[in-house]
Amino acid sequence: MSNLRYVGHAELRSVDGRARVTGEAQYVCDMTLPGMLYAKVLRSPLPHARILTLDLAPALALPGVVAAITHADFVEHGNFGWPVKDDYVLAYQKVRYQGEAIAVVAAETEAAAEAGVEAIRLELAALPVVGDMQAALDENAPRIPPASVKTDGNLGETIILRYGDPEPLLAAAPVVMETSYDLRHQEHAYLETEGALALPEPDGGVTLFANNQSPFINRDIVASVLGLPPQQVRSIQPHIGGTFGGKDDVLYESSAQVAKLALLTGRPVRLIFTRAESMLASYKRQALRVHLRLGSDERGNLQAAQVKMLADSGAYASMTPMAAWRATMHAAGAYRYQAVHVDTQVIYTNNGYSGAFRGFGNTQAAAAVEMAIDELAERLHRDPLEFRLQNCLRQGDRTMTGNLVKHEVGLPACLEWVRDKSGWQQKRARYAAQPADAPRRRGIGVACYFHGCGLGGEGTDFAVSTLKIERDYSITLTSGLTDFGQGSRTVFTLLAAEELGVELARVQMLRPDTRTAIDSGPTVASRASIVGGNAVRVTATKLGQRLRLAAADLCACAPAQIIRAGEQYIGPREEPHSFEEVVDHARALGLQLAAEGRWEIPAVEWDLETGTGKPYFAYVFGAQVAEVEFNSRTGRTKVTGLWAAHDGGTILYPQGAYGQLYGGIAQGVGYALMEGYLFKDGVPQRTDLRSYRVPRAIDLPEIEGTFIETRLNEGPYGAKNLAEPVMVGTAPAIANALFQATGERVRRLPIPPQPRP
Amino acid sequence: MELNFILNGQPLTLTNVDAETTLLQLLRERLGLTGAKRGCDNGVCGACSVLLDGRLVKACRTSLAQVAGHAVTTIEGLRGPDGDLSDLQAAFLEYGAVQCGFCTPGMVIAAEALLRRNPHPTRAEIRRGIAGNICRCTGYQQIVDAIEAAAAQRLAQEERENE
Repeated sequence: MSNLRYVGHAELRSVDGRARVTGEAQYVCDMTLPGMLYAKVLRSPLPHARILTLDLAPALALPGVVAAITHADFVEHGNFGWPVKDDYVLAYQKVRYQGEAIAVVAAETEAAAEAGVEAIRLELAALPVVGDMQAALDENAPRIPPASVKTDGNLGETIILRYGDPEPLLAAAPVVMETSYDLRHQEHAYLETEGALALPEPDGGVTLFANNQSPFINRDIVASVLGLPPQQVRSIQPHIGGTFGGKDDVLYESSAQVAKLALLTGRPVRLIFTRAESMLASYKRQALRVHLRLGSDERGNLQAAQVKMLADSGAYASMTPMAAWRATMHAAGAYRYQAVHVDTQVIYTNNGYSGAFRGFGNTQAAAAVEMAIDELAERLHRDPLEFRLQNCLRQGDRTMTGNLVKHEVGLPACLEWVRDKSGWQQKRARYAAQPADAPRRRGIGVACYFHGCGLGGEGTDFAVSTLKIERDYSITLTSGLTDFGQGSRTVFTLLAAEELGVELARVQMLRPDTRTAIDSGPTVASRASIVGGNAVRVTATKLGQRLRLAAADLCACAPAQIIRAGEQYIGPREEPHSFEEVVDHARALGLQLAAEGRWEIPAVEWDLETGTGKPYFAYVFGAQVAEVEFNSRTGRTKVTGLWAAHDGGTILYPQGAYGQLYGGIAQGVGYALMEGYLFKDGVPQRTDLRSYRVPRAIDLPEIEGTFIETRLNEGPYGAKNLAEPVMVGTAPAIANALFQATGERVRRLPIPPQPRP
Repeated sequence: MELNFILNGQPLTLTNVDAETTLLQLLRERLGLTGAKRGCDNGVCGACSVLLDGRLVKACRTSLAQVAGHAVTTIEGLRGPDGDLSDLQAAFLEYGAVQCGFCTPGMVIAAEALLRRNPHPTRAEIRRGIAGNICRCTGYQQIVDAIEAAAAQRLAQEERENE
C-alpha cells in the first residue's frame, strides 16, 4: 500500500475549497438570470384540514404577479413519492401538516410574489389533529394518508426482524433490563435553505438548478408530474450548502413547482426558502419511541433482545419506511445474541413529515440500545466499557440479524482506543467519588455502534462513472453520485488519478448534471466512497489498460513490461514516454479515450414477510466516550471531552474523513442536548435558529478522534464508509456520561435541562 | 436616497437606494456581491458577516444609515498582499476548515475581525470569537485549527518585521 500516490495521504486538500473560501462559489440563491421571476409559496396555517376553497384569481389580478399554480397544474395532481406514493407537489384536497405547500405564485419581484400569496383566497375546514403516535393508531382517529395508499388506518408499515426466539431466553435470563425511550424530531438546519431555479428550454423542456442530493431522482419526478419524457428535464447541481439527508423530497416539490412556472411563463423562475419556511416545511429526523428488553446471564453474556419501536412518519412516508427498516436492523446494537426480535411500526401523524437524516434510523436505534446496555451493565455491577468489550461483535461472530461477519471488525480496537485516550478508568473512579451535593458534577460515558454499509435491503446499490481524455490531455470525470459538502468529489478525483497514475490536477470533475453523468441512483447512505469510488476505479482501470496498450506499442514490448514512474511510461529499453505521447499514440492507434464503468454492491436480500435474510454485505464500527459537566443550579449539561474511534476501513482522504467525524459528532451533541424539534398538537414550536439552537463552537469541546483502519476487500483500496455512522455514538455516550454525573438515567432525547436545587 | 460609503477599499456612490434595504440586500441584490450569504434573516447564523470599519457586523441586521460614510469589507475584498488568498483563506483550505462552504465567507470574516482585535487568541478565545457564526458541517475543530495557524503565522511575520 505504501506506493500509493494519493490514497490515504494527509496532504490531500478539497478540490472545491478554493471557490468556497473566496466567496466565488455560486449556490442556487446566488444565481440570477435576466427576466427571472421570483416564486413564493402559500403554506398551510393548519396541521390537518380539508381544502374548501382555493382561488388564485385575486393573486393573478395583482400588479407584478405573472402566474400561479396549484395541484391542478400537474399530472395526477402532482402525486409522487417512493417507496410510498402518498405525497403531492402541491396539496390536493387536504393539508396534512402545518407548512405544507398549497399554491405557488411567480412574480416580477419577491415583494409582488409575497403580495400574490397573501391575496390567494384559501378556505380550510380544520380536521382533528393527530399529534401522537399512540392516538394515531386508535380506531377512531381520523385517517391521515390519502385513500389511494394502502394502509391499516394510520399504520403505514410494520417491519419485523426474526432471529431465533428470544422469549424463552428472556424468561430464563437471570438479569433482564426493560426500558423505554422517547427520541424526538431533529431538524437538519443545513445553513443553506432549499432553493430551485428553472429555465424553460426551446424544446419544451426545462433545465433545473436545485440544491437536492439526488439529481436523477429529481429529474424523473419532475418529468413525471409535468408529463415530460425524462430527457426533457435536465437537473444540474450547483454548489450545495449542506444537506445531511434533508434535501430530497422537499426539493422535488420545489423543483416541480418552479419547472411548471417556467414552462407556463416562458421565463426563468427561482424559489428560495426563508429560514422559517425551511424549518417549517422540510422533513425532519423521525421521532422514535423504543421499548427494549435485554437479557443477560450472570456472567454478563448477552442472551437475547426484544425491541418494539414506533416511528413517527408525520404526514407523508418520504424515507421513513426505509429509515425504520434500518433502525430495525440495528435495534439491538453491535453485540452477539442468541436471539433477537424487532417489531417496528411506521405511523402517520400530523407532526410535520419525516424522512432521511444522517444515520437514517440508526441514530435513534443506537441511542436507545446504547442507553439500555449501559443500564444493564450497571445492573450487573460491571464497568460499561468492559461490558461492551465482552459482548461486542468480533470477526466471525453473528450479528443481531443472525448474519456471520466475515470481514475484519475494528470494534474492540475502537473501544480500547477511546478507553485509553480518555483516561477512562481514572475518570470513572474519580467521578464516582464526587460528593452527591456538589453544584457541578462530572461524568464520563461510552457508547459503541455498528452501521450497515450502503443501501442494504433498501434498494439496488450501484453507481456509474465516466472518464474522458480531452484534447488538452486533461481528464474529465463524471459520477452519478454527488457532493454536497461531504468531499466525495475529492475522493473520486484522487481515485481516478491514483488508478491512472497521473497528477491530480489533470483530473477535472464536472458538476453533477443529468445530461453529462449517468444515473447512479440516490446519493444517500454514506455510499459514495464505496460504490461511487469503486465505479471510478473500474472506469479508470479500463482507460488505464488502453493507455498501457498504447505505451507497449510505442515501446515495442508486452503491456506487462511497462512500468510507471510518475506520469511516465517506461519500457524495457528504459526510454521514458510522457503521458501526452502515450495519449497521442493511443489516439493514432484508434483506441477510444473515453470509458464508462459501473460497480454494484454484492447482492443482499431481505424477506420482509419472514423478517429474515442478509440486510447488508458489510459493516462499519465505532466507539465514542463523552465527558460532561452537569450544573445542578441551571440543570444544563456541558460536554467537556469527546473521544471517537471509527473503523471505516482504509481512509482515502484523511482530512475530509476527520471533517466528517468532527461534524457528525457536533450534530450528535445537538441531538443529545440542544435540538429537539418539538410539536404541540401538530404545531412546530421552534421555527427559527434562535429558539432551535444548533451547536456553536463554544458548545463543543476539543474532539480527539482516530480511524481504526481494517480492510474491506470489496471497498476501493479497502475503504468502507463513515459520514453517517460517526454521529451515531455521540448522543448515547453523552446520556451515559450524564448518568454518572447525576445518577439519573436519560429516557428522552434531547435531554431536557433539569435544575436540582 | 443617495448612499456614500467605502466598499472593499473603493469609494462608492449609489443613487435611488431604498432606505429600508439592509446591507445584505444591497450587497447581494444591487451590487451582485454574493459572498455574504443569507442563512437566517435574524442575525443568528452569521453567514452574512462583514466588516464595518473593521468591526464584525451581520449584514442582515445592518441598516444603510449605519453604513453611510463608513467602510465595509466583504469576503470579496479580503485578499492577501499578492492579490491572491488572504492568510486566513489559505489556512481554511490548508486545515480542511471548509466543507459545504456556505458558512465559510462569514466565518473567514469573523476570524479576520477576531485576529484584528486579538492577534494572539487561545483556542477557547477563537471559539468565543466565532460563536456568532454557525457551521453545520465541520464541528468547528478544523476551523479553530485554521484560525490558530493563521494567528501564529501573523505573529511570526510580525517578529520577522521587528527584527
